[in-house]
Amino acid sequence: MQLGFLVDLHLCMGCKGCEIACKVENEVPLSTWRLRVKYVDVGTFPETKRTFTPLRCNHCENAPCERICPVSALHYLDNGIVNIDKERCIGCAGCVMACPYGAIYIDPQTQTADKCTYCAHRIASSMMPACVVACPVEANIFGDLDDASSNISKYIQVNQSNVQVRKPEKGTNPHHYYVGGGNVTLNPLASHRVDGYSLFNKITPLPVGGHH
Amino acid sequence: MAAHEILAATNAVVTLDVALPGIVWPWFVTMNMWAKSIGTGVIFMLFVLMRMHPESVKNLRLPTAISAFVFINIFLLFTLADLHQPFRMWHIFFYPHLTSAITIGSFMASAFLGLLTLLVFLAWKKQDETYDKVFLWVTILAIPVTLYTAALLAQCTARELWQMPAESAQMILAATLSGSAFMILLGGNKLTYEAKQTLGVVLGLSALMAFIIYMSEYVFGPMKAEEIAATLEYIKGDGPYTVMFWLAQWMTFIIPMGLILLSRSSKSEAILKLAAILALVGLFMVKHVWLIIPQLLPMS
Repeated sequence: MQLGFLVDLHLCMGCKGCEIACKVENEVPLSTWRLRVKYVDVGTFPETKRTFTPLRCNHCENAPCERICPVSALHYLDNGIVNIDKERCIGCAGCVMACPYGAIYIDPQTQTADKCTYCAHRIASSMMPACVVACPVEANIFGDLDDASSNISKYIQVNQSNVQVRKPEKGTNPHHYYVGGGNVTLNPLASHRVDGYSLFNKITPLPVGGHH
Repeated sequence: MAAHEILAATNAVVTLDVALPGIVWPWFVTMNMWAKSIGTGVIFMLFVLMRMHPESVKNLRLPTAISAFVFINIFLLFTLADLHQPFRMWHIFFYPHLTSAITIGSFMASAFLGLLTLLVFLAWKKQDETYDKVFLWVTILAIPVTLYTAALLAQCTARELWQMPAESAQMILAATLSGSAFMILLGGNKLTYEAKQTLGVVLGLSALMAFIIYMSEYVFGPMKAEEIAATLEYIKGDGPYTVMFWLAQWMTFIIPMGLILLSRSSKSEAILKLAAILALVGLFMVKHVWLIIPQLLPMS
């Protein structure tokens, strides 16, 4: 079994329901996120549009975080999930430095690394990840990539000319796919990121792990 | 050259995102690399002096062992202090993950510290023959100890700037540069003029080679990868680390090279010592800039 995620960006409307569901389900502390939706505005008025990109751990087949972790706190589960054992983590932040997707953070409460686990605890109880359940438009498609009859496999088959992963050049082989993505949505260097400029909040760097 | 192109047609602007994490590895890690360079570098330099100027090292065995011991302890202390869960450090030894450069480095650094402790004891007891036998193995172990941080940086897949062949060369050169500089200062009257000149040559050549590598990355790196180009923007033009980068390059490499040439022509030991001090101080800044700038880049 190889669990994977696919987000159809045509469907995502940026409601952030997944983000909130994740926060609640996993008790993610303030100022940190396992899953977030990035807004990128494209075009010049009046020809403008807003794109929405949910970003989470890519559960890579060749995960740099797993490789660099000195104590195997980050480890693979049999179903392909890259899981984390917070009791074992020593907080060296090597995984934060290694992850090309910025998906790992230092939990300010436990002072250990944390990230999306595809809700491994729910999967173990045969439930879907919280973000999948919360999505009102079924933009999040989750399932077994090794099973050709699973929803995610069928979706990839149908949309195979339009399926992308983030930063394929890194050789991490992500198990998280996007349909309808583009350079603007998937490449962080393809858009302006003006410090302090944001719709609802001020984008400023935060100290890693709170006050360490 | 533009670091990366944001098309006018798309005019894409991130309008909502979460707060970006600040610097993940702060100056503690710079201190780690700097102190380790000196701790291993003095071992390399004593090895060179033992073979080229054996008469000079008679009174240097104990000071060198103590210096290496102190700097390796500083390195380990700052490594520990940088952990968010320092009291779980023992996990590395009881749950080791051998694909990680951190694990392998911890094992080697611990063994290295043990051998340095033995060296201090042997030097204190004036058992020079045994000291020299152990010292050979200490020198051999010092090579991977100083190199493992390069492997760690290379394992940081997210930070394109840190490429393994260049970083490993830079780590060794940092060790020979800081080791020779520290030994010039440590040697004092114990070293002959010829021995100091030898150390000066090592210092000058290390500075030259390290400078060439930095400049090569500065000029050619952006031609290889978009992320490197974007990262180097922080040390170009009015980038936030431009001043520190160039100040460090001048202090660590360019001025010491000039001073060493001057000291050879004027036979001045004072100028040689000035070159050594500048190189030691500048190396901290060089390492710091190179550590910080890849962390400024947005990852998502």
